[in-house]
Amino acid sequence: MLAQLIWWSSIALEMVLLVRGFYSRLAYRLPVFYSYIAFVILQEIARFLAFRWSNGVYKNVYWLTEFLGLAIGSLIVFEIYKVSLAAYPGTARMARNVLAFVFVIALTKGIAVATASPTGSPVGSTALEIERALRAVQAAAILALVVLFLLYSIPFGRNLRGILIGYGSFVGVRVICLAFVSQLTHNFWFYAYSASYLAALSLWLVHLWSYEPIPQAKVSVQLEGEYLRIAATTRRHLQDTRAYLRKAVRS
Amino acid sequence: MMELLSLSAGVVLLVLLIAFASKRWAAARDMRESALPIGEADAEPCPEVFVSRVFSRGDWEFVHSLRSEGISKLFDRERKKVALLWVRQTSVMIRKAMREHASAARQSENLQFSTEISILAQFLTLIVVCGILSVAIQMVGPLFLGGLARFAQRLSRRVAKVQESLQPAPLVKTAGRIA
Repeated sequence: MLAQLIWWSSIALEMVLLVRGFYSRLAYRLPVFYSYIAFVILQEIARFLAFRWSNGVYKNVYWLTEFLGLAIGSLIVFEIYKVSLAAYPGTARMARNVLAFVFVIALTKGIAVATASPTGSPVGSTALEIERALRAVQAAAILALVVLFLLYSIPFGRNLRGILIGYGSFVGVRVICLAFVSQLTHNFWFYAYSASYLAALSLWLVHLWSYEPIPQAKVSVQLEGEYLRIAATTRRHLQDTRAYLRKAVRS
Repeated sequence: MMELLSLSAGVVLLVLLIAFASKRWAAARDMRESALPIGEADAEPCPEVFVSRVFSRGDWEFVHSLRSEGISKLFDRERKKVALLWVRQTSVMIRKAMREHASAARQSENLQFSTEISILAQFLTLIVVCGILSVAIQMVGPLFLGGLARFAQRLSRRVAKVQESLQPAPLVKTAGRIA
């Protein structure tokens, strides 16, 4: 009963979100995000039909759509990065490096798992284990982006903030649930995951009701080599403070 | 191990998103600064002579030689307050420097990843040092910190000597030849 309620509420909210997206023309500004919502609606219909058909087909459809959703979801992270950092090439460069680092770590881990497997490939791994690993990488990538946004005080519009918080919290809860879920059963973690998606949808609906432009930062024209001067000044400032602290305490 | 790592990533992500969602992150930062007396956030660092008096034992010895418990207690309390205010002011200065750097660097086309990481490491070290200092001042008072620092210095010298003595002979020889 509860699962049905969550399921129908999710579909209703997704429909409203999609309609509002086209009405406010946000769907044209954030195409990946709205494609994801459209995909989720189609995915739910496909799963419902497969469930009515046979259990075996449902299992295959479930995992196929789950991984497709995960892939499109990763593109949302990329869209957030692209839109929010368009005016900040410096932070964008940092983000690229940090994300590359996260993916190298994930790739290394994947290779390690594959080589540890007796057959040389992770055939023994279940779909759930693969999803667990992929979601962890997704969580790490979002985490790295949020840290950078906070560190460089990147101004966010209401729309993008809603997408990031909603999708980030959905991934965070999914990662936590997957750590406790051993098989796909309707236990507490199943409902927690479903409810977290419902919460994300409600958050998106509030934040994406209408278009709101991203606040623009003051444009500062920088000469070549200006960054090196700024970095050197900051370093000197921090080093002076360290010496100052040391001297004061040792006096 | 993987489960634990992904679980921590999920928890940390949720906590950070809550901080990011509630505008309190920025508001708390502004409030911390506005809680300081007017102009303190923009103030220059205290003169070294003044700061060295906060942590020196000279005044403490004088006050305790008066053998008045009330004055001694008042002195300890006030000195602790001054020391904590100084640490807070220093911490605000560090944050301000980092914020100014971030707002200038975020738009720079030629930002260097390694330089940013090194600045971030320096910043975090200083923030941690300020945190440790605050806790130490709360626990033992500012007057004993000088002693603690000297003790730490002596200890680190001793550790360095032990490390030197443990270094294998051929390595030392090689190093000598290269030098």
